[in-house]
Amino acid sequence: MVDMDYIRPQDLAGALDFLAAHGPDTTLLAGGTDVMVDLRAGKLHSRYLLDISRLSEFRKIEACNGELTVGAGVTIAEIYASKTIARHAPALQKAAAAFASRPVRNVATIGGNVAHCSPCGDTIPPLLIHDARAVVVNPQGRRLVDVEQMADGPYHCTLRPDEIITGFILKVKPDEVEFVDFQKIGRRKALAIARISMAVMAQQQPDKSIGFIRFALGSCTPTPHRFRQIEEFLLGKVPDENLVWQAGRMLADDMLAITGRRPSALYKEPAIQGLFVRMMVALI
Amino acid sequence: MKTNTIVVCFTINGEKKELQIPAAISALELIRDVLELKGTKEGCGIGECGACTIVVDGKAVNACLMFAAQLDGCEVMTVEGLSPAEGLHPIQQAFVDRHAVQCGFCTPGILMSTQALLMETPHPDRQQIINAVAGNLCRCTGYQSILGAVEDAAAGGLKGKSRQKTF
Repeated sequence: MVDMDYIRPQDLAGALDFLAAHGPDTTLLAGGTDVMVDLRAGKLHSRYLLDISRLSEFRKIEACNGELTVGAGVTIAEIYASKTIARHAPALQKAAAAFASRPVRNVATIGGNVAHCSPCGDTIPPLLIHDARAVVVNPQGRRLVDVEQMADGPYHCTLRPDEIITGFILKVKPDEVEFVDFQKIGRRKALAIARISMAVMAQQQPDKSIGFIRFALGSCTPTPHRFRQIEEFLLGKVPDENLVWQAGRMLADDMLAITGRRPSALYKEPAIQGLFVRMMVALI
Repeated sequence: MKTNTIVVCFTINGEKKELQIPAAISALELIRDVLELKGTKEGCGIGECGACTIVVDGKAVNACLMFAAQLDGCEVMTVEGLSPAEGLHPIQQAFVDRHAVQCGFCTPGILMSTQALLMETPHPDRQQIINAVAGNLCRCTGYQSILGAVEDAAAGGLKGKSRQKTF
C-alpha cells in the first residue's frame, strides 16, 4: 500500500499555499494518466498528491489579439473538439486526434503532457511551432516560460516545486498559412508512444516559394525542439523533390548531432527522413 | 503501517456511495477490491489495453489510470450497471449475436467504450466506432465482429438505454 495523502484545494491560492509549505514532497495531479503509471512503477515517492484538475482557472480556451490561450487543465479530448483550436492551432488538434486512446484523451491534460517532460509528449511539437509559452504561477507571482525550455532532459522539468502551470499562450496560426500537419510513427496506430513525431506549418508565395515555415521534432532528442536550421534552409526556396530530401537529410544529421549514434539511430535516421518527406511532399 | 484515508462520495450504477478508502488507491482497486464488482478487468494496469474501461460522467476512462479519489462527486458506470435486472443490454445482445466474444476478458471494457460512444453519438459511422474502441485490445476476435456488433447495437436505436424488444 502506498502511503500518500490526497489533497484537493478549493482554488489556485489554496494550491499555491500548499505548495509553499510542501512543494518538494508533492506531486501535482491533473488527469493522472502519467502519475498513475509512475506510481505503479515505483517511481513516485511523494508524500502528497495535490489534485488541481478541478480548478476552474485552468480550463479556458480563448483566442484574442493574435494569441490563443489554452488552460493547463484542458483535456486532450477537449482540444480535439475545440473549434477555436482547430482554427488557430490545427497541428495541436491533429496531435490530439492521434494521442493515445479515447479513454486516455478523456482525462489526460495538456498541462500534464508538457509538465511530465517526456521526449515523446504529443502536444509539445505543435506547441513549439506556435512559439508557445507556459503561464507559470508561484507564491511570489507569475512568469512565462518557453515550452521549449520547460524540460532540461527527459522527464526532468525545470519548474520549481512550488510552481504550477496554469495554461499556455500560443501565437495563432497566421491566416495565410494553409499547410499544417502533425505526423507520428508509433508501433501501432492507437495507444503507441511516439518513436518520431513532427509538427509543421508553412505558407507558400504565389511563385510556390516558402514564405513562412515552423518545424518541430519530438521523440528523437532528449527534449522536443524547433529545428530552425531546417526552417532557414527552406525559407524562400521553391520546394521540389530534391530539396525536400535534402532538408530531410539535414534533419537526420541535426538529430544525430544531438543524440550521437545510439543503437536506435539505424532505424531513426532513415525513418525520420522518410516521415519528413512524406509530410512535406504536399508542398511540391 | 499507517494508511492515509479519504472519504469519497459518488454514484455507481445508480447507487449512491460514501466510502472511507485509502488515499492512493486506483479507481480500479476501488471497484474490484472495495466494492467487489469483478466485471471490470485489470489487464496491463498502465492504460494500454482498455480492459478496465468504465464510464465516468458519460465518458469512457481507464479505471487503472485514475485515482479513486478523482471519482468524488462523479457518476460512474461499470459493466454491472449496463445490463437490466433480467436479460442482456442490447449492446451485450449484439455482441452475443455477432460472436464478438471469444475469451471475453476484453469484453466488459469494450462494452463500456461502446456505451460511452452511443451516449454521445447514437448513430456513429464506422470510423467513429473504430476511434471509440481503438483503446481496447482484443487478442481473439480480430475486431471485425466487434465493429459489426457495435454497428448492430447502434442500428437498434440505442440511446444509452435498454432497447425494448420490438420483434
